[in-house]
Amino acid sequence: MLARVANNLFWMGRYIERSEHIARYMNVNYFSSLDAPNQISQDRQFVLRSMLFMVGDPEKDLNKTLQENEVLYKLGVDPDFGSSILNNVKQARENANSARDLISTELYEAINKFYHFVLNYPKEVFVKSGLHDFTTNIAEMSAILRGKIRGTLLHDSVYAIILMGVNIERATQITRIINSKYNDALLAQGSYEDGFSKSFEWSTLLKCAESYDMMRRFYKKTPTSISTLEFLILNPNCPRSVMNSLNQVYKHVKLLNPEKRYNKESTAFLIGRVRAEYEYKYIEEIEQDIKSFIENILRSLEEISNKVDEEFFNY
Amino acid sequence: MTNIENQIFSSYQKNPDLYDEIYDSEGNVKDVYQKLFDIYGGHSIQDYVNLNSKAKSSFFNQGITFQVYGEDNVQEKIFPFDLFPRIIDPDEWDIIERGSIQRAKALNLFLWDIYHDKKILKDNIVPLELISSSANYLDQMNGVDPPGGIYNHISGTDIIKHKDGKYYVLEDNIRCPSGVSYVICNRTALKRALFGVFNHYQTHTVTDYAENLLEQLESVKPKGVDIPNCVVITPGMFNSAFYEHSYLAKNMGVELVEGRDLFVENDFVYMKTIKGPERVDVIYRRIDDGFLDPLEFRPDSALGVPGLFAAYKKGNVTLANAPGTGVADDKAVYTYMPEIIKYYLKEEPILNNVHTYHCSRPDELEYVLENISELVIKPVDEAGGYGISIGNRLSKQEIEEVRKQVKETPRKYVAQPIMSLSVHPTYIDESESFEQRHVDLRTFTILGKDDEFVLKGGLTRVALKKGNLIVNSSQGGGSKDTWVLKKQ
Repeated sequence: MLARVANNLFWMGRYIERSEHIARYMNVNYFSSLDAPNQISQDRQFVLRSMLFMVGDPEKDLNKTLQENEVLYKLGVDPDFGSSILNNVKQARENANSARDLISTELYEAINKFYHFVLNYPKEVFVKSGLHDFTTNIAEMSAILRGKIRGTLLHDSVYAIILMGVNIERATQITRIINSKYNDALLAQGSYEDGFSKSFEWSTLLKCAESYDMMRRFYKKTPTSISTLEFLILNPNCPRSVMNSLNQVYKHVKLLNPEKRYNKESTAFLIGRVRAEYEYKYIEEIEQDIKSFIENILRSLEEISNKVDEEFFNY
Repeated sequence: MTNIENQIFSSYQKNPDLYDEIYDSEGNVKDVYQKLFDIYGGHSIQDYVNLNSKAKSSFFNQGITFQVYGEDNVQEKIFPFDLFPRIIDPDEWDIIERGSIQRAKALNLFLWDIYHDKKILKDNIVPLELISSSANYLDQMNGVDPPGGIYNHISGTDIIKHKDGKYYVLEDNIRCPSGVSYVICNRTALKRALFGVFNHYQTHTVTDYAENLLEQLESVKPKGVDIPNCVVITPGMFNSAFYEHSYLAKNMGVELVEGRDLFVENDFVYMKTIKGPERVDVIYRRIDDGFLDPLEFRPDSALGVPGLFAAYKKGNVTLANAPGTGVADDKAVYTYMPEIIKYYLKEEPILNNVHTYHCSRPDELEYVLENISELVIKPVDEAGGYGISIGNRLSKQEIEEVRKQVKETPRKYVAQPIMSLSVHPTYIDESESFEQRHVDLRTFTILGKDDEFVLKGGLTRVALKKGNLIVNSSQGGGSKDTWVLKKQ
């Protein structure tokens, strides 16, 4: 596979995954706030700020009143905002375009359909009443894409590169979502008897990661800060957890590079090391300093991404 | 035989001066179209409108679009596609197929000759100045033996049916002929929208093009290579034919590369992969001669690969089509095609050539200047339907302008009688009905080392503007699925 095209496929995977997380974050936060048990969590300004925070564009002016339609427009369908869902899907498709000869017709057509859906979604409908319809469709379509990636591609280097992109992005987005909801939980403290560790925001966090039901099954208790973080960070069987994502990245880098012992400069070595670090972590350790933990994991993921770039795409 | 109740065709107006592909001269539907006519006739216009939008969305989802740059956004559009297919019966197809191969072979021999011994020039069959004055003759190709002896691996032959009911070749395209992906996509779209129709006809498939292309490309591998590594080279995603490039690469199962993915070392070509350099043996190139190699041709080319031509000259890599083929498909050489075919193949041409007046010859120039209103005046070296003047459409003043241009640079122009392209019923959005529109046909011929292949089908292009004779997509043309029927 051409190095240039591998780079495009890697980013195709990342953009598909990214658009889904943004869509779900918007959806879950908006709708769970409508009947949230405390005033802060129910406050529309609080929700809109949380959305902006999640995509890395927080509103700094604490006194500013945000307009719902403006924020939704910006995050969903604004062609001039680089992190909008529209632009993520556009990038995914552009990357797929350049690698059309390598991916299956089925996958390409699905991406293309996805793009046309987002592009042609009436913007005025979206900001007024289309949030649910639009974001659920994004989530469903990206699930279809993952199905087409898994089900129609040859499980070789093309597949491995795409899934590395998907999983590095997933770990990154889950971490960002954790960061964002951790921030919300801190802010929502003190209204009623909703303390930090039992905050309503943890349930919302789990729903943002499509992991609420399974978390309930696993712990059989109302989500708390510690159980939620443990589930989303360390549980290797939760498909959205950071641990699971790292395992996936490791599995797929091995497809590219099937050696037994890795050179210490290789991507596989670095991924293995990061993975080992989290495999032997326990949640109490993380809980002491969630903020540093989040910074660390984001840094590690960035290092991995740079390493992939250096080893495979550098031409 | 005509079904008067036929809803869709009830408003179809037949101009008696035009050759209609589906009606015979008595106004009856031709046998071969009768079934199709009956099936379509069972639809109402509304059904047809629905089917049409279904087909359109099939094109969108397949991503067969081109981009239109507007004021503040980029729009994607599909090429207009007509749902009423063109049918070619086996006997007629036989002529087209044999004729296309004959021309491709003759052109190949001609190219070998003019880049080697130049016998045809010495024998005064084709005038020397025609070649020496051609901007497309590459001196660098003199004495170079292309692997397998093939220059024009892929030829696109533009054929029309005149009102005399005979096929004429209008143009040979042997640089980078495009359009084959539309043939295949048109079929896919038509099958999705109207699959039932196919039950009534035994139609040849068109999806075997890529496998045949790969087979023939592999047959012209460089010497000493066992299993050749083939690639397709594209100018990039923003090229209007990018879809076709990626389609062909995908369906051959080979890499689609850009110039920046390749490099040359010690006269061998390599591509940059995730595992390091990998050798490349055969390149199906979809970039023009001038851009192939900045060291040899245009130094400003960012699309090509430095050193590629040197590797080619050494015989270490195959380029398909070979550089320098453009000299043989210009409109001046076209006019000598009957002689070229006879000279090399000792055969009579199977497909007709349109009679051509050379403005470079004084007596013919005089005839042209006197009769512009009855002729089509074409520049010798423009592609895509640009710069063509059709005599009977021009005002007096325009005729004078054309006359002046031709007089100034006669070598640049040829003239032909105005050919009347046959017409085919085509659905027109604005009038919501079927109307006669002019069509042509591009066939795709592949030459390999000892073998050849013609795609059984081809691109039927439609001039969508009423009365327009120019069918190129850059001039607002659409296309139709083309069925070549199997012999019963």
